[in-house]
Parts: sequence; structure tokens; C-alpha cells
Amino acid sequence: MTLQTRRRVLGFAGAALAVSALPLCARETFRLGLTPVFLDNDAEVIGHLRAALEAALGVPIELEQRRTYEEVTGLLLEGSVDAAWLCGYPFLQHRLALSLVAVPVWNGQPLYQSYLITGKNDDASSLEDLRGGTHAFSDPDSNSGYLVTASDLARRGVRPEGFFRRTIFTYGHRNVVRAVADGLVRSGSVDGYVWEALAKAEPDLTARTKVVSRSEWLGFPPFCARVDRMAEKRLVAFRNALLGLDQTEEGRSALTLLQLDGLISGDSTLFEGIEKRIQDYEKLR
Amino acid sequence: MILAGIVASQQVLSTMGQFQDVRIRELAQAQIEALSVALGPHVLRDDIWEIYDTLERAAGETEEQRMTFTAVADENGYVLAATDPDRAPLDSLISALTAEAQSPKTLSVTGDAERIRLLAPLLYQGREVGQILTELDVTDLVIERRRAGRLLLLGNALATGILALLGYVAMRRMLLPITRLARHMRETADAPEPIPDSDLPRGDTEMTRLVRTYNDMAGAVEAKAETERRLAERERFVSLGRLSSSLAHEINNPLGGLLNATDTIRQYADRPDVVRQSADLLTRGLNHMRDVARATLDQNRLDRSSAPLAPDDFDDLRLLVEPEIMRQEQKLNWQVDASEECLSQFAAAPLRQITLNLLLNASTASGAGGSVGLRISEKSSELRLSISDSGPGLSEAARARLLSTGPLPLGGGVGLRLVHDLIEELNGFVLVDRRDGKTAIEVVVPVQQKKEGTQC
Repeated sequence: MTLQTRRRVLGFAGAALAVSALPLCARETFRLGLTPVFLDNDAEVIGHLRAALEAALGVPIELEQRRTYEEVTGLLLEGSVDAAWLCGYPFLQHRLALSLVAVPVWNGQPLYQSYLITGKNDDASSLEDLRGGTHAFSDPDSNSGYLVTASDLARRGVRPEGFFRRTIFTYGHRNVVRAVADGLVRSGSVDGYVWEALAKAEPDLTARTKVVSRSEWLGFPPFCARVDRMAEKRLVAFRNALLGLDQTEEGRSALTLLQLDGLISGDSTLFEGIEKRIQDYEKLR
Repeated sequence: MILAGIVASQQVLSTMGQFQDVRIRELAQAQIEALSVALGPHVLRDDIWEIYDTLERAAGETEEQRMTFTAVADENGYVLAATDPDRAPLDSLISALTAEAQSPKTLSVTGDAERIRLLAPLLYQGREVGQILTELDVTDLVIERRRAGRLLLLGNALATGILALLGYVAMRRMLLPITRLARHMRETADAPEPIPDSDLPRGDTEMTRLVRTYNDMAGAVEAKAETERRLAERERFVSLGRLSSSLAHEINNPLGGLLNATDTIRQYADRPDVVRQSADLLTRGLNHMRDVARATLDQNRLDRSSAPLAPDDFDDLRLLVEPEIMRQEQKLNWQVDASEECLSQFAAAPLRQITLNLLLNASTASGAGGSVGLRISEKSSELRLSISDSGPGLSEAARARLLSTGPLPLGGGVGLRLVHDLIEELNGFVLVDRRDGKTAIEVVVPVQQKKEGTQC
């Protein structure tokens, strides 16, 4: 056993001791990490989601939110949360350490698109028309909010910083819509599911934007957990709770608010499109 | 009163403006400081979205939407974010918006602008990391000041109106005696009329003293007029006395002869020729006495303007002055060259009075053995009466009485002044000439208006 392996074993043992020393209620609390998709702005959605999961799991649910995808992914990887609702891009970035728990189904399929949007009065009809403008991304680890546009540009051999005069990160898809709608930036890359959900929840906001182009259909942001913990009962129970969310009253309320149909197991083939984009993007990088 | 109101209003508005300035400065300072604390780290990291989001949230929470627009720039002056990105686009120069922007220390809302701009440094951890431009809505403060201004204007106008009314009433009351005084003076016909004691202002005020002074003056004028009247009467009586004396002399002189005639008639009653001669003598003497009596009566006739002037009038005058001339053994040079037609265009009474007065004066001035002359001549439209004497000439006092209309000097008679006044009434004038030891007073009287066009 190498020194590093011994340290890891000792670390795991220490962690196991620390976990076993926690009080029962604390140990049973299920921690779920949430990326700031559009949930960060909606306490009602979060409340219903927590209530539905608590009802299904029978243990308290603690929802952990952070500003960036990177932070939430970090929490998941270090074990501070039991599972997290991530995005296909960070899932693939850590494909060896992470495993799919469930994939949401939206409009009948576990897929979504990335939208390139501008202000409603903008003349642009394609990405090329937006050259030299200002652009808002959601998060550097977001598929729809960064990777799709960045990889489109990479395929043309240009980086976002070279194509746009200035790029900003808003760390939230809703913020991208706001930034474009308010005129802070000319264009933005946004999660198509979020934009459509906002179009129903806040039509006045999306009405001030215009979708210039839509990406191909890509794997919907999945719920993930660490590979090494997938066999844990609490994760199995969590996975079952997610898959059966549409079977309970609370679950259906939460899904309705999230404008989702339900969740399925899914598999990594759903994310092949994203994988291809990562490769194109990585080439330029 | 109005000026005082305006000054007071200005003071109130100025104080109010200063109070508002202090208030808005404190408010702006607090908000700038709060924004600096919130924005500082984001500006340091160039985190555009967080700057924008912070501004948005701050704008939503600001008191009554006081901050209507805020823009944040980096230390080079390029806009990082603004509440209205259309007005201040990302990476544009903030200097395009800083015209008329004020600094926090001198921020003032005293103008009429309903929005003011404030440019402040964005300080974070003791160093300037950018700039904050904010537009403050001060409509409420401007409205407050305008409302205060209107209320002050209304209040001042009301107060001024009331005070002006009270002032008007008070002035009217104060000026009432003056008005009464002015009316008395205006209505004065010949002499000022004193204000009765019942109308005197109460108390011992300036006004009372003024009215009393006026009454004293009116009394003095009346007394002076009375004195002048008496002097004129006296002069008239003096003239009459002198005339009476001459008349008595004139009657007395022939009386001896007449009495002798009656004695002769009584003594020689049987001699018709002697009686006839004596009767003729009596007739002549009595005729002379009759003429003298008539001339005297004519001279003193009350109606002065009825009869026209005639050569007989000068004969009468000669009759009246001759006794005095003879008494003083003076030489009389009498020359009437005016035609009857010319003379008839003048009223007899004033010219007779003028001529008689001047002749008697000339006789007095010439003294015993002197010479007196009268020359009546006519020109195209005027009559000239020239009275000369060999006296020493007119004294200054006499000259003033005859030639000027000023107040009469003390002492002396008023005969010459009567001459002056009569000539003035006839629109004539007087010339005084002193030559070769002789004084000549020439009176020039034009033809009267109603007969203008008539040639002498």
C-alpha cells in the first residue's frame, strides 16, 4: 500500500468515525446540493421540493445552495452533500467520480436546449451577428449557459473573449435573461428549460428578450452522487424517491412548480451531445 | 412694506433651501457610503453582474425611489454597470453623463431642476476604486419649496393688503385736517377763510399747530387787506380833503366879490345899469361855483365805468387842480391833443382818477413856483397821458408803488399804487422819464378789447 493509499484509507476511516459520532438525527439528515439554475430565486419551489423529498425519504432534507456550479460540485465531491442537482457539463467533467441518480423529464423527454438570446428589438438572427457585442454567460461550468456557445465559437476557432467585446457571468440562468432584457448586455446564453419556464412564470421578463438560436437537444441537468456512495441505502432511497416523485401529491406539486413531468434513471448516452461539445471546446483550449 | 415681505420670504426660502441641502447631502452621503461598501468588492473583481444586481436591489430599496439612476465606473472612468444600461452602456465613458454633476459636499437642491446628479468617488478599503454617478429625484423637495413660496407669497400679499388698507385708513385720518385745510385754501376767493375751532384737530399735534398757523395767517391777511382798504380810504379822503380845501378856497375867493355885488345892488337898487352889472357879476361867480361843484361831484361819482371819456373831463380836471396850482403859484402847461372820437373809447372814471392823482402828486413834487404839465396825445390804438413836473424826481418808494406789483413798503400813501392798479386793470403801462430837471410820467392805455380795431 502506497503512502497515498494509506492516507486515503486513514482519511476514510476518520470520516467513518466522525459520521458514526454524529447524533442520529443529524446523521440521518439528507443533504442535497442545488445548482443555481433558477431555483435560487424561488423559495416556493425549494419548499415544495424539500417537502416532497422529506415525505418520500422520511428524513429531514437539507438543501445546500451555492453561487457557482463549481462550489456545488465541490461540495458533492468532498462529501459535504449526499447528492446534487448538477448540470451535464460538470457531471461529464467528473464522470469517474460521479454517477447519475436520476434525470428529469421535461416535455416528455429528458432533454433540453441552450438558447442564444438578445433584446427583443435586436436585429441579430445568428451568433455571427453578435460579434463585438457584450454577452452574458450563466456559469463557466454550465452546459447551456456557457459550453454550448463557447463550443460553437470553438468550432469557428475563436474563444468567447475574442468574439465578444466583453463577456460576463451572472451565475444564474434567470440573471442572464434579466441582463439581456435590461440591456446590460446585448446577448446571452441561457438554459432553454429555464427560459421556457420563465416565459410561463414571468412572461414580462422573457417578452423583453428574443431567442436568436436554439442548440440541438442535449441531456437534461441530472441529479448526481458520488460513485462510491451509490450503494448506500440513503442514496438508493433518494433515487427511488426521485423516480417516484410523480406518484405522490407533494411530489406532483413540486414537479408542477418545476414544470417537469417526472424523473427517470437515464444513462450516460443522454449526454453524448454535451460530451462532443466538450471535446470541441477542449481542442481550442 | 412689500419690500420687507419679499426680503422676509427670501430669507425663509433661503433657510429652507439650506435645510433641504443639508438633508439631501446627508441622505446622499449615506447612500453613497452604503453603495461603496456593497459594490467595493465587486468593482475590485470587475464582477459586472453583481454590481448591476446590487444597484438594482439598492434602487428598489431606496427611500421613495429617491435614486432614479445610478451608474458605476471603474477607476479609469468606464461604466461597469448602471440601473439603466441604455443610458450608460457597459464600457462607455461615464464622463458623457457627468455634465452638471455635483460633488457630495456641495450638493444643492436650490435650483428648479427636479433631478440632480451627484458624482462621488467609490472608496473601498481606503482607496478609490471607481466612481458612482447617481441621479436623485428631488421633485418632492422642489414642490415643497414651491408650495412654501406660494404660501409665503399669499401670506405676504394678504398681510400687505391688510396693512396697506390700515395704512390707507390711518393716512386718510391723519390727512383729514390737511384735506380740510387744502379745501379752505382752494375755496378762498379774495381772502383766506379761517377754519372754525370746531374743525380743529384734537390735541396739541403738529397738525393742530399747522391749522392754527393757517388761521393766524388768514387773520393776518384779512388784517392787511383791511389796512390797505383803510389806507385807500384815507388816501381818498386826503385827496378829497385837498380838493375840499381848494374848493373852499375857490368858493371863498369870489364870495367877497359876490357879497360886494349884492351890497352894490342893495345900495344902487334904483340904478338899473349898476344892478345889471352886479347881477352879471353874480351870475358869473355863481356859474363858476356851479362848475366847481359839478366837477367835484363827477369826480366822486360811484359809477366809474358808465360814462365815456370826453374833452370836458380834462376841463373838469383843470378846474379841480388849478386852485392848488394857483395856491402854489405854479405854472401849468395844459395840452389836450386827443380827438373826441378817440377819447370816447375810454371810460372816464379811471382815467380821470389816474390823471388827477398824478397831477396833484406833480404839483406837490414841484413845490412853490414850480411847473406842472399835462399832455394828452393819441396814437394808432392807444392813448398817452404825460404828466410832468419840475420836482426832484420819484423816490425809490414812490417808484415801487407806481411801477411794481410787489408788497407795499411800510409808510407812505397808496395813491400811486391805486394809479398802478387802475392802469393794470386797463392793460396799460407806465413809463417814467427824468430829463433836464423834469420828471415825466407817461401812462399808455390801449383801446379796450371790446372796441379793438377802432383807430384813435
